[in-house]
Amino acid sequence: MDKLLTNKYGVKGAVQRADAKLTLALRKTVSNPLLHYLIFGVIMCVIGYIAKQNTGVIPYSWESGLARTFAYSIASVGFCLLMGYSGLASLGTGGFIGIGTYAMYYIMGVLDLPFALAVVVAIAIAALVGIIVGFISLRIEGIYLVILTLGLSEILRQIYVAVEDNISISRFRVFIETITTRSVTIYYVMVALIIVMIVTTNLINSPTGRAMLAMKNSTSAAQAMGISLIKYRLLAFVLCTVYAALSGVMYMVTTRSVMASDANGTYALITSLNILAAVIIGGYKSVWGAVFGTFIMYGLQTTLLQQVNFLADNPIIITFFSGILVIVVVMFFPGGVAQLLVELKGLIKKLIKKIREGRYGKDLG
Amino acid sequence: MTYLLNTLFATLVPMCVTAMVTMAITLIFKTSSTTNFAQGVISAFGAYFVSYFMGEKVGLSIWIAMPIGVIASTLVAVLIDVGIFRRGRYVNAVGKQIITMGLISIIVSVIPMIFGMTQPSINKFVSGNVQFKGALEGLVVTNNALTCVGITVAVLGVIFILLRFSKWGLTVRATASNEYVAGMMGINTHVVTAITWGLAGALGALAATMLASENASISVYFMTNYQVYAFLAGILGGFATFYGPVIAGVAIPLINGLVIWALNMLGLSEYSGWSMVIVYAIALIIIFFKPQGLFGKRIAKKV
Amino acid sequence: MEKTSVKTSPRVQKKLIQARQSINWIKAELESLPELYEGKKQAKLARFKNKLNKQLSSAAFKACDKGEYYDGVIDSKLMRYDVKKYMAHRALNHGTAKRIFGTVKLGQSYDEILSEQYAKYQQLNAARAEYKGKLTEKKAAFVEKHGAADATEYNALIAKKQAEYDEYEAKLTAAYGAAMSEKAEKLSQKLKGYESLTEQLSAKTAGGLKLEEDVLLSVRDLKMYFGGLKAVDGLSFDVKKGEIFGLIGPNGAGKTTVFNCITRFYDATGGDMYFENKYGEVVDMRSFKVHDVILQGISRTFQNVELIKEISVVDNLLVACTREYKTGIIGQALGLPSLKKEEKLLRAKAMKILKFMGIESYAAWYAMGLPYGILKKVEIARALMCDAKLIIMDEPAAGLNDSETADLTRTIRRIRDEFGVTILLVEHDMSLVMNVCDTVCAISFGRMLAIGTTDEIKKNKAVQEAYLGVDEDEEAQPQEEAEGNE
Repeated sequence: MDKLLTNKYGVKGAVQRADAKLTLALRKTVSNPLLHYLIFGVIMCVIGYIAKQNTGVIPYSWESGLARTFAYSIASVGFCLLMGYSGLASLGTGGFIGIGTYAMYYIMGVLDLPFALAVVVAIAIAALVGIIVGFISLRIEGIYLVILTLGLSEILRQIYVAVEDNISISRFRVFIETITTRSVTIYYVMVALIIVMIVTTNLINSPTGRAMLAMKNSTSAAQAMGISLIKYRLLAFVLCTVYAALSGVMYMVTTRSVMASDANGTYALITSLNILAAVIIGGYKSVWGAVFGTFIMYGLQTTLLQQVNFLADNPIIITFFSGILVIVVVMFFPGGVAQLLVELKGLIKKLIKKIREGRYGKDLG
Repeated sequence: MTYLLNTLFATLVPMCVTAMVTMAITLIFKTSSTTNFAQGVISAFGAYFVSYFMGEKVGLSIWIAMPIGVIASTLVAVLIDVGIFRRGRYVNAVGKQIITMGLISIIVSVIPMIFGMTQPSINKFVSGNVQFKGALEGLVVTNNALTCVGITVAVLGVIFILLRFSKWGLTVRATASNEYVAGMMGINTHVVTAITWGLAGALGALAATMLASENASISVYFMTNYQVYAFLAGILGGFATFYGPVIAGVAIPLINGLVIWALNMLGLSEYSGWSMVIVYAIALIIIFFKPQGLFGKRIAKKV
Repeated sequence: MEKTSVKTSPRVQKKLIQARQSINWIKAELESLPELYEGKKQAKLARFKNKLNKQLSSAAFKACDKGEYYDGVIDSKLMRYDVKKYMAHRALNHGTAKRIFGTVKLGQSYDEILSEQYAKYQQLNAARAEYKGKLTEKKAAFVEKHGAADATEYNALIAKKQAEYDEYEAKLTAAYGAAMSEKAEKLSQKLKGYESLTEQLSAKTAGGLKLEEDVLLSVRDLKMYFGGLKAVDGLSFDVKKGEIFGLIGPNGAGKTTVFNCITRFYDATGGDMYFENKYGEVVDMRSFKVHDVILQGISRTFQNVELIKEISVVDNLLVACTREYKTGIIGQALGLPSLKKEEKLLRAKAMKILKFMGIESYAAWYAMGLPYGILKKVEIARALMCDAKLIIMDEPAAGLNDSETADLTRTIRRIRDEFGVTILLVEHDMSLVMNVCDTVCAISFGRMLAIGTTDEIKKNKAVQEAYLGVDEDEEAQPQEEAEGNE
């Protein structure tokens, strides 16, 4: 009788243990980041859908505002991988986004070929550009690299201006649905964003992510550990540019027209800086942070703050305060919102501990 | 021949503007170790002041309005240094860049609050052209461009002489080389950085005024392109010296002019929109093979 | 020894490395097979046991003595109070100054605090007794309600269930045994394939180089010039297998440069370096890139600890295995199960090494904020991760205090003995060098002064002369330590 539990509490105990195991499995599922991404995507899609119904529950403009924000978020997530994990920085995001928009314009608008081809072409060209920047990054480092990528982005922008300044597509087909101005485009953006987030999270927690961190920490130590600088620098830049191009594709899906020569437009320095700021605000090592930071930089203005009448009449005030916010975050919270949350968590724990201490003495905590 | 010279003379003002902005950016890069992305909008701020004081409401001459604009820009720049950068000394290099980017947002929103949503203009310093006769007939050189060249040469010349020979120049160079050690050697690095920021603001306002006098219309972002040229010039010439970036800054518009001329000569005038692409590509190739810049020195890396 | 230059294509070399890594993986998988299947079996058994127990529960309750059962219920209900009581008791017993000052209020003395705590303890006790009394009152009613123990049903059931359980276990054992032997068979066939491939390839790459019988690393006439500066100028020495070799010399003697030449951070101006790699072939080190050195079996530690601060200690160890993963980047991006399998095997290995170093309790800690001595150990553990044959240590004792240095001495010996690695170290701390090294090589200005056992070096005149400035080095050490502790 030794194999079965037959003591007097054993019956109950075994059942409890089984329950505990179940809750553990449940907990594991609930704490899985991939599930969080999915839930987030579904919620955003629902918001977009309700907004497009124009029933007044959620303002109509929210759908396009959110869709554009999350299209930019794709580029931010790539930038987070580049800066937070590889320790490299670039100001070429604006130009790289252009790769995606032009691929969309030529493949779908001019040649009328399928959407999938546009994505593939955008990724291929972006990967090529990424490899070029990666090779440059082997020779030039730090702030010089930043300026150089800025130059490269400017080259791309000049090429766009020279090729076709003002691009726009009126209606085009993505898979089966024809996209017009009244379509709910946030679906496509969310699918792309969630894929990007999942891939990034996987990479961060994989040997590749660790290798990148090692490279960021000390290039010589990384090399001694068998990490090839060429491989991982190229990889980091390729990922960053591919994400940016993907973000361009999604931008085109949602916005459908861009002007290249606009000195304050999508391909200009200001976009690269905004993405950089978004990643800094969010906390440059957190995927959620990057998405949240982009929301602050782009989404806040087009959604929540538009509801306040005064701010809707004077949009310039929002710009003013976003500038101040950026400066305050950089100066006083260098870890961004992600760090702020961690600190807040610690503070709450401390508070609970203090309350407990008051009751049972210090050892309980 | 006449065409080549005319193309080159047309780039005179861009050359002056780029040289000045490059100097401003180099000064800030060396003392505050950051690339000042707000340089363009600070300069535009000065230009708005100049246009306001020249406009219908006040109606001053450009020679009086310009110093006012320069002073305004200087004050803004000094305020930025004292109010923000002095407090954020321990922010890393990327963080400082982001701060300057936040400054763009602030200044861009402050300008319409003060001046309204207008796109003002500035009159030329001097109107008319230089008259040529004989073999040189057909050349077009505006008096305004020559005035700009005069101002640029004078201002940059004075700055270079001060940097090279004055005690202040020595303190700036010391701070640029190592702020911490300079501080320990008894140099008041706070004052030095504040002065360089002020100087950068002043140079920016001058450059913006010159550009506006040639191009007429001012907007918040109208200096952004020149700011990008200046960054590129900075690494093309190498931030190790002060003269390197300025020379590169003069060279970029010059090469642009030459490229346009060459394209026209080759009968490719419909591709003249690509001239800037070619210039950038040339610059990037040079930087790729000489990462320390044309006038920089190679620094050995220690493992 | 003749220098024969048989150049093999990098492609063949890459293939060879991949084949060898595959062999390693298969061997590791084979080793882990019994554990894996036993675990699977136990998990299934436990689930089955739970199921049976649930079916038994009502009969078991009838069978047991109700009074005893209720006592157990009381005990478990009182557990809450017992925990609190234990904590209060501990707070009373272990009154440290810090805790006292932490909770002190204005005008409150130590005695007052203690008495307050004691009052709380008494209160708890009273509450517990009261609760117990309440429960005990209910006991009689409970026993009366459920009646006496009746084990007939239970006895009848238990035998049946036990038989069911035994049958299930036998079935599982057979099934998993068959599955395991099948898998093992498959793997060993794969292994054979890779082994023959390796033989073919290594026949191609073998350069006909040979070293003397027990020599592991041979440095010959090494020269490293930086412009006009001759950092290393014609240095030759042999490192024997299994020895601890020390490289000493005054500041600026070129010790670290020698290291950097061997690990290919610098491309030597002249000279040769031959090394018997971990597969028993003699290779010319100069034909490798810096990031390929680790694949040959040379790993190193750094003077200032170069760990990644943002990830855990065990993850830091895994960084050294980056080249060993067979799952490609796309596989990693998709989070394939093969990656998880590899991670599991490597993590187990990392834990083993951490245990050997005596720091397994820090495995899940972030490297940030750990004491400097621990970080040094983590770095050595990382160097052990990649099955190295030669570990190069750059000033392992820099920044350590005396007891930590003594500990390090023991650790270095243990590593040599248990892992069979050879150790080459550069060190300023003479006590460490003289205690731990078998052979010492003294250099000055890039040239050899003397080589021999520690005693020979101590007596050597030239070394003594070169070391007249040794005092300065020793003074410099406490400063480094202070930096490390920050």
